[in-house]
Amino acid sequence: MRYLRLTIAALLCMSLASGGANAQSADSSESSEYLIKAGFIYNFAQLVQWPPAAFVQPDSPIVIGILGVDPFGELIDRVVQNKKLDGRSLIVKRLKRGASLKECSILFVSSSEAAHLEEVLQSTKGLPILTIGEIPGFAVRGGIINLTLEGNRVRFEVNIEAAKQANLNISSRLLALARIVPQSADGKRSE
Amino acid sequence: MNLQNLSIKRKLMLITMLTSSVALVLSSVSFLIYDLMSFRRQLSQDLMTQAEIIGFNSGAAMAFKDEAAATATLSALKAKDDIVAAALYSPEGKMFAHYFQADKTLPSSLDAGSQQSGYRFEGGYLRVLQQVKMNGERVGTLYLLSDMRQWNLRAKRYTSIIVIVVLICGSLALLLSSRLQKLISKPILHLEDTMRMVSSNKNYEIRATRFYGDEIGRLIDGFNTMLSEIQLRDTALQRANNELQTSTHELEVEIIHRKRTQDELLTAKQAAEQANRAKSAFLANMSHELRTPLNAIIGYSEMLEEEVQDIGKISNVRDLQKIQAAGKHLLALINDVLDLSKIEAGKMQLHIEMFDIASMIEEMVTTLKPAIAKNANAFQLHVPENLGTMRGDVTKVRQILLNLLSNACKFTDHGTVSLDVDRMTTAGQEWIQFRVSDTGIGISTEQQENLFQEFTQADISISRKYGGTGLGLAISHRFVQLMKGRIMVESTPGQGAVFTVHLPVQAAAEQPESSRSGQTVSSEAAPQVTANADTILVIDDDLAVRDLMSRSLTKMGFRVVAAAGGEEGLRLAKQLRPLVITLDVIMPDWDGWTVLNKLKADSDLAEIPVIMVTIVDNEAMGRDLGASSYLIKPVDRERLVALIEKHRAARFSTVAKTGVPPANWSSRSQRSSRKPEVVGPRRH
Repeated sequence: MRYLRLTIAALLCMSLASGGANAQSADSSESSEYLIKAGFIYNFAQLVQWPPAAFVQPDSPIVIGILGVDPFGELIDRVVQNKKLDGRSLIVKRLKRGASLKECSILFVSSSEAAHLEEVLQSTKGLPILTIGEIPGFAVRGGIINLTLEGNRVRFEVNIEAAKQANLNISSRLLALARIVPQSADGKRSE
Repeated sequence: MNLQNLSIKRKLMLITMLTSSVALVLSSVSFLIYDLMSFRRQLSQDLMTQAEIIGFNSGAAMAFKDEAAATATLSALKAKDDIVAAALYSPEGKMFAHYFQADKTLPSSLDAGSQQSGYRFEGGYLRVLQQVKMNGERVGTLYLLSDMRQWNLRAKRYTSIIVIVVLICGSLALLLSSRLQKLISKPILHLEDTMRMVSSNKNYEIRATRFYGDEIGRLIDGFNTMLSEIQLRDTALQRANNELQTSTHELEVEIIHRKRTQDELLTAKQAAEQANRAKSAFLANMSHELRTPLNAIIGYSEMLEEEVQDIGKISNVRDLQKIQAAGKHLLALINDVLDLSKIEAGKMQLHIEMFDIASMIEEMVTTLKPAIAKNANAFQLHVPENLGTMRGDVTKVRQILLNLLSNACKFTDHGTVSLDVDRMTTAGQEWIQFRVSDTGIGISTEQQENLFQEFTQADISISRKYGGTGLGLAISHRFVQLMKGRIMVESTPGQGAVFTVHLPVQAAAEQPESSRSGQTVSSEAAPQVTANADTILVIDDDLAVRDLMSRSLTKMGFRVVAAAGGEEGLRLAKQLRPLVITLDVIMPDWDGWTVLNKLKADSDLAEIPVIMVTIVDNEAMGRDLGASSYLIKPVDRERLVALIEKHRAARFSTVAKTGVPPANWSSRSQRSSRKPEVVGPRRH
């Protein structure tokens, strides 16, 4: 509740400050959608277990990488600010294409990277990185979780196979809420 | 009130039933309450656990705002019948997902304040609120509503079980108590039965049976003991009753026996009285028969003595005196025996009259003079001047004194015999004391003991030496007793004896009618002036008596006219108006009493003093009929003369007052030579 108020307050500040730099992002419903999505990302972090080798130290932070154009803005920072999961803090890093993804635990692939999806997914292959996208067919093409919209409600798809390949353990509670999609060879072929 | 009058059997059963039922119901109900309470707690715990699970399960759905998933999770509650409604609320309090069974609904929003975890029982429902959390963060609230169906079911089932158990236990208790109450009620009922039997049949042999050794057993023992006691007493009472009846019967028999004995005794007594009367009659007859010849012997010997003395044949005088003395002795004996027999028969009576003591003594001493002179004794008489009179039987007083004095004279030789008379007062009563003392042989102490017994003289030898019957003192003693007086003796052998007699001045008047005689005596002093002042009328059927009386009285200077029968006597009395009349009782035509009556009935003759001269000893009768004196034959001549002299003296004093000259004493001696031709023909 507290966070919700904060995010709403932050949203108002942002829209006033930026003055509609991004028309889509400046829209209040747009902001509400990403606020929810930021929450979802945080929720996913709670329901996914990383292998111990994924972190250098027990208290190494969980790094959330945002690849491509950032749709959240400040929202996600505020959501994860001061939060800890199993003694780890959460850090948001914004990345450009070609940057090293190794230090990321969660990688949000922005829809701006849809064209280079194969490349991105290839680079994370075999790494314990929870890949989250909002691109249609993201999960089918090898991403782990894909956020979708059903009406104005945010839902998500999970590629269990991809999660297995990334050596990630997704909670059944999360799976119970997700739409499970299979791994298809089409993505590779289309590449 | 009705409860109190119930039979002990019913009471016992009631008590048992009530107690057991109350205990059972109380324990069952408390168990039920405890069970239902703990069940409710358990129920709430279960529901809380349930809420936690559901909350956990719906946590992710809430976090991802997945309504369908949340609803699906809630739908799982279908399996739970008792949860009638469930709902998930967002942290803002808006209903997010719900599950409603039947028509039960839940509020669409919750206040921020009512979102704390907990449970509440409300209106038969159990409400549970559970916060839904994800990684410690609250993501919503779960609301569960249970109608506590299991609890209600359990309560119903338990209640019915309890009812059944109570019923079964109650009937068991009834069965048991109806059998077990006999332990107590049976002995009591038995005791009651026994008591009723005892009281209705009065049979104390019945015993109550003792069943057990408890208090009732002891009660029955006590009752039996009591019965035994009662039975014992009843038996004892019965026995006593029987004994009483037996003794009553014995008593009745005894009474009958005694009555018979009494009748026999009465018959015997009557026979004895008859015999006694016959004896008395015989004695009277005998004394008459004895005295009549004795009268003649003494009288004629006295006359002969005088005549022989006149002639001068002294030797014959001695013989005649011996005859005279023997006759007098015999007479005294007969008199004593008669007196004693009278005393013995209780027929001796007192003739109470007022008399002058001094004159009585004077008269007596006159009679005693020969006896005093006989042993040459001196006689001393001490009589105070104002001795006065006493009431008593003068004849018996005289007889007592004569007896004592003649005894004193008899046992004293050349000594002194004295008589002291005095008045004294002891114990508020006046007495006359007569004291007869002598200087004679005296009486030993042993002799004194038997002195007053009949037929006892101090010594047998005494009767030979001194003569006497030994009856004198006994008779005196009896006389004194009759007069309520005392007689005592003091004596030292060889120095003399003192006899003391105390007689009351006022004797108890046994025969008050005797006072008439006193009147007669006192009124005799007024005879007719015209009467022959020295004529004596002798009325006697016995020629010897007439002869002797005439001779002796004529000698004394009286004119004696004799009559042989009552009729003649009466006629002569009218004709002569004599100074004194002597009257015999037993006569052929009229007896002496008839003549006396006729004399006293005649106003002309009533004043003439009558001296009864008879062998019939009934002085009382003579006095009653008006005789002035009573002499028993053989007549003591000296006493007769003394009496006549007294009457003449009285007449003289009366005549002196009236101026008629007294009879000339010298003329009597002239007439003394007259033969007693006046004496009438002899009838015998």
